[in-house]
Amino acid sequence: MASVALSEAEKVYIVHGVQDLRVDGRGCEDYRCVEVETDVVSNTSGSARVKLGHTDILVGVKAEMGTPKLEKPNEGYLEFFVDCSANATPEFEGRGGDDLGTEIANTLYRIFNNKSSVDLKSLCISPREHCWILYVDVLLLECDGNLFDTICIAVKAALFNTRIPRVRVLEDEEGSKDIELSDDPYDCIRLSVENVPCIVTLCKIGYRHVVDATLQEEACSLASLLVSVTSAGVVTCMRKVGKGSLDPESIFEMMETGKRVGKVLHASLQSVLHKEESLGPKRQKVGFLG
Amino acid sequence: MPGDHRRIRGPEESQPPQLYAADEDEAPAARDPTRLRPVYARAGLLSQAKGSAYLEAGGTKVLCAVSGPRQAEGSERGGGPAGAGGEAPAALRGRLLCDFRRAPFAGRRRRAPPGGGEERELALALQEALEPAVRLGRYPRAQLEVSALLLEDGGSALAAALTAAALALADAGVEMYDLVVGCGLSRTPEPTPTWLLDPTRLEEEHAAAGLTVALMPVLNQVAGLLGSGEGGPTESWAEAVRLGLEGCQRLYPVLQQCLVRAARRRGAAAQS
Repeated sequence: MASVALSEAEKVYIVHGVQDLRVDGRGCEDYRCVEVETDVVSNTSGSARVKLGHTDILVGVKAEMGTPKLEKPNEGYLEFFVDCSANATPEFEGRGGDDLGTEIANTLYRIFNNKSSVDLKSLCISPREHCWILYVDVLLLECDGNLFDTICIAVKAALFNTRIPRVRVLEDEEGSKDIELSDDPYDCIRLSVENVPCIVTLCKIGYRHVVDATLQEEACSLASLLVSVTSAGVVTCMRKVGKGSLDPESIFEMMETGKRVGKVLHASLQSVLHKEESLGPKRQKVGFLG
Repeated sequence: MPGDHRRIRGPEESQPPQLYAADEDEAPAARDPTRLRPVYARAGLLSQAKGSAYLEAGGTKVLCAVSGPRQAEGSERGGGPAGAGGEAPAALRGRLLCDFRRAPFAGRRRRAPPGGGEERELALALQEALEPAVRLGRYPRAQLEVSALLLEDGGSALAAALTAAALALADAGVEMYDLVVGCGLSRTPEPTPTWLLDPTRLEEEHAAAGLTVALMPVLNQVAGLLGSGEGGPTESWAEAVRLGLEGCQRLYPVLQQCLVRAARRRGAAAQS
């Protein structure tokens, strides 16, 4: 992760302050202001850009046809790729960001690894032969702490925005199959993102745990717990991150906090996405100019 | 046609015949959810490594070796920002490099050695679980290399690798706060979801969710946690973590005895 140089006095200030109020005045369970915008890149099947404080993530989803995996012949699948651009911090220059990128991609695979997150059967065109593969590419533009949460919000928004063209499989008399794309460019299938989880990272600072840590707060924390929650409160992934160890009791408290915060996050994200869609294709796009 | 002087390789993609066979999956037999498979652990068996350990639990066999401390690459950079909690500056603190490898014949399908994403993820999980236990501040500008090799995957592979790695570090004489003990769990699918301790490979394949917990038994601190799947509500995961921690505590005396035996063996060899 990007690192920031903090003096001992600043660390003590942050650690002691967290007991009541954080440095920017937030409570322990408050997120910073989040901006979400979908459909920012025109060449993709779906895209989203999310800004959380100074953390900036751009996600593009491209749907391509391919062969299903051998063990799951009736389903399509998702492929994740995370690119930590050198714009984010100088540490990511060259191959520096590869490790972080692989770690985030592996976490995303783990979160989406269960049957209920995305309906993979709807991505199947003809069993064993053709299916839709969704390539989800995440680009890290700026890094200011709390990467996992922001990336997951962006992936959920991009999947909500994804439009996959409807195809039909036509069979000839000889039995050879032909794929036909629908003529109407607006005839597409949408994915249901009801059960796509959101990640909540809880950083342990001193004796309390905080949600949505900034870079400075992350530098003061030895260990964090990453919990991935769906809108129904079901936990799909749990992971301890960082060099330190956690007390078993604090793990249980953090899980409860994560579930509570996750539900609120899901509700507000759903309402924002629906509101943006209701504005229709004539809405004013902000993109990178705002 | 000129002869192929390079090694003749097989087809790009090949599958075992079982995949094409009819689905005759045996369901895993019902058992006591809190049973731990008997564990065989031995430390100090590789002559070339500073410390090593072999762990066998049911069908899972892991071999782990530790080498170092040796000078870290890129340690010429001067002091950086001080770490959290007043430890030595980041550039002066030692590093732990972990590597997790699966033998190509370890699972049901052959997997060529550069295993890609999964092995990197497990190596990162190993590192995150072992770092709280090792006193890296005592090895400034040095790096310790831990490499775990999974010979056969019979279920709970990551947990076994964690335990073997901690034993190998202890055998190498690396200063540690405590041993790290790992335990695997899996949750049976829908009709009767129960968490099973120390699952076999068959139980893991049929599972709806899996979890690996790493505990430092004496300090009672959780050093590592990695879980995913459809585990259900948080109460269910909390119950699983408790079960895992209990399993780790039960495993600890076996590892203590293993280290004592290894020390005796080393003492006897030094005398003769």
